[in-house]
Amino acid sequence: MHDKFRRCPPITDLIEYFTSNFTFILGYTWDHIKLVGLAIIIAIVIGVPLGIYCSVNKYAASTILQIASIMMTIPSLALFGIMIPILSLINEGIGTLPAVIALVLYSQLPIIRNTYTAISNVDPDLRDAANGIGLTTFQRLYKVELPNAMPLIMAGIRTATVLNIGVGAIATLIGAGGLGGIIYQGILRTNNTMILAGAIAVAVLALIADLFLRLIENIFTPKGVKK
Amino acid sequence: MIHFNDVTKVYNGNVKAIENMNFTVEDGELVIMLGPSGCGKTTLLRMVNQLESITDGDIMLNGKSVRHSNKIEMRRNIGYVIQSNGLFPNMNIEDNAMIVPNLLGWDRKKMRDRFNMLMELVGLKPDEYRKRYPHELSGGQQQRVGVARALAADPPVMLMDEPFGALDPIIRTHLQEEFLQIQKELKKTILFVSHDIDEAVKMADKIALLKGGKMMQYAEPAKMLNKPANSFVAEFVGQDRVLKSMSLYTVRDLANALTLKPVMESPDSQNINENLSLRVAISKILNQEADQLIVENDNGTRKGSITLDLIEQFLHREIKESV
Repeated sequence: MHDKFRRCPPITDLIEYFTSNFTFILGYTWDHIKLVGLAIIIAIVIGVPLGIYCSVNKYAASTILQIASIMMTIPSLALFGIMIPILSLINEGIGTLPAVIALVLYSQLPIIRNTYTAISNVDPDLRDAANGIGLTTFQRLYKVELPNAMPLIMAGIRTATVLNIGVGAIATLIGAGGLGGIIYQGILRTNNTMILAGAIAVAVLALIADLFLRLIENIFTPKGVKK
Repeated sequence: MIHFNDVTKVYNGNVKAIENMNFTVEDGELVIMLGPSGCGKTTLLRMVNQLESITDGDIMLNGKSVRHSNKIEMRRNIGYVIQSNGLFPNMNIEDNAMIVPNLLGWDRKKMRDRFNMLMELVGLKPDEYRKRYPHELSGGQQQRVGVARALAADPPVMLMDEPFGALDPIIRTHLQEEFLQIQKELKKTILFVSHDIDEAVKMADKIALLKGGKMMQYAEPAKMLNKPANSFVAEFVGQDRVLKSMSLYTVRDLANALTLKPVMESPDSQNINENLSLRVAISKILNQEADQLIVENDNGTRKGSITLDLIEQFLHREIKESV
């Protein structure tokens, strides 16, 4: 058994595994995308407004960023574990819900911090000009501050996504499915090919997601801000 | 008209930034506020459009109290130009210049016409710049767009905070002259902050010299240069204040005030147009280009000649009995 674990599977095994289990892997990948995608969308909906709020209320900023930092320091395995007893109270201890909540909490720091930094760092002269011209606070936000902060906010979202794709592999332990399932089964069966295949699939997914988000960033960043 | 009525600004309960400021900028006048840094000139400017609050007193803008106006609506009726131009990097030049008309809900056609007209006014080709972005323009071009943006909705009043301060001297002189031309045509009521006495002398109808939040003197440039109200004003405007004031008089002013000397044909003479300033005349003489200058009008008719003596006589008269 130990021998089997130590031996690195030849590349041909790996290719063989991918080709013969293509639909199986694809199914796990799709689950992974759904899980992380949902978590990131919720994380953005919560994190970006919180980051904007931080930029106008410096007092709240330190508290909110502190809490988000603490979330990040909890080992991901523990964070998933904690979800079980808490959500068992509403009979949702395992499955998608606790996994999504854990991932959302885990990705708040990069999103809030980047949004906060990006908006705080918008040139004060631009803010002054926007006010002096007669923009309302809301107009200033969406016409001036957000467009100019876009690259940094998107960088935060990209970091959070890549992070979540990796951490999301653990979600399988609380029954949420995803590519972690392949790795976990590999460990149980001491099948190195499976472990490696799962890990590679996670890494490739993360790279593709990053590229995809760069594309979105490119579309949403105003031409004059790109330079 | 901008009327400052006992305006006071106090920071943190005890630091007085502005003390009982009283003065009026008449319609169509360009008033430059001048003073050392920390004198409160920018604060005072920003109190007009309520970017700074007023602790006590009030500012009346065309008869309406700024303290009791709707800030947003009021600001859209005031052209605002700042030193760093404050163009929005995310918007192209047309969107930048037309942001206020856009907020006011002008239709597309009206905005396009206005943009074309303003760009011509500030000396940029509308079609060449329309779709470009601020970072693709030089500092001087950006500031021209900044001026166009401030003029976009045709506001009666403009506030300018060292608009040409960040430009190199050649471009600055250029823009100052062009802006004076524009102002001659548009006759806006302008409050302008500067720290450059030469800029103030050149451009202002009146200069407000501030120190420590108090008004030191409020007067026409010539009066401030020739009759400083106190030693601070005299020191601020500089030892060469009389020389500076020469740029405010034309050769014609001298010709009207004194009798010109008869023209004597000599190799050491040069012609000078009567519309040029006395500063040019004096420079020509001091540069040893000529001992006497023959005054001509636009048609080339000779009216007489001036010498250093005559200029001195004129100065004496202006300073002693002036304004």
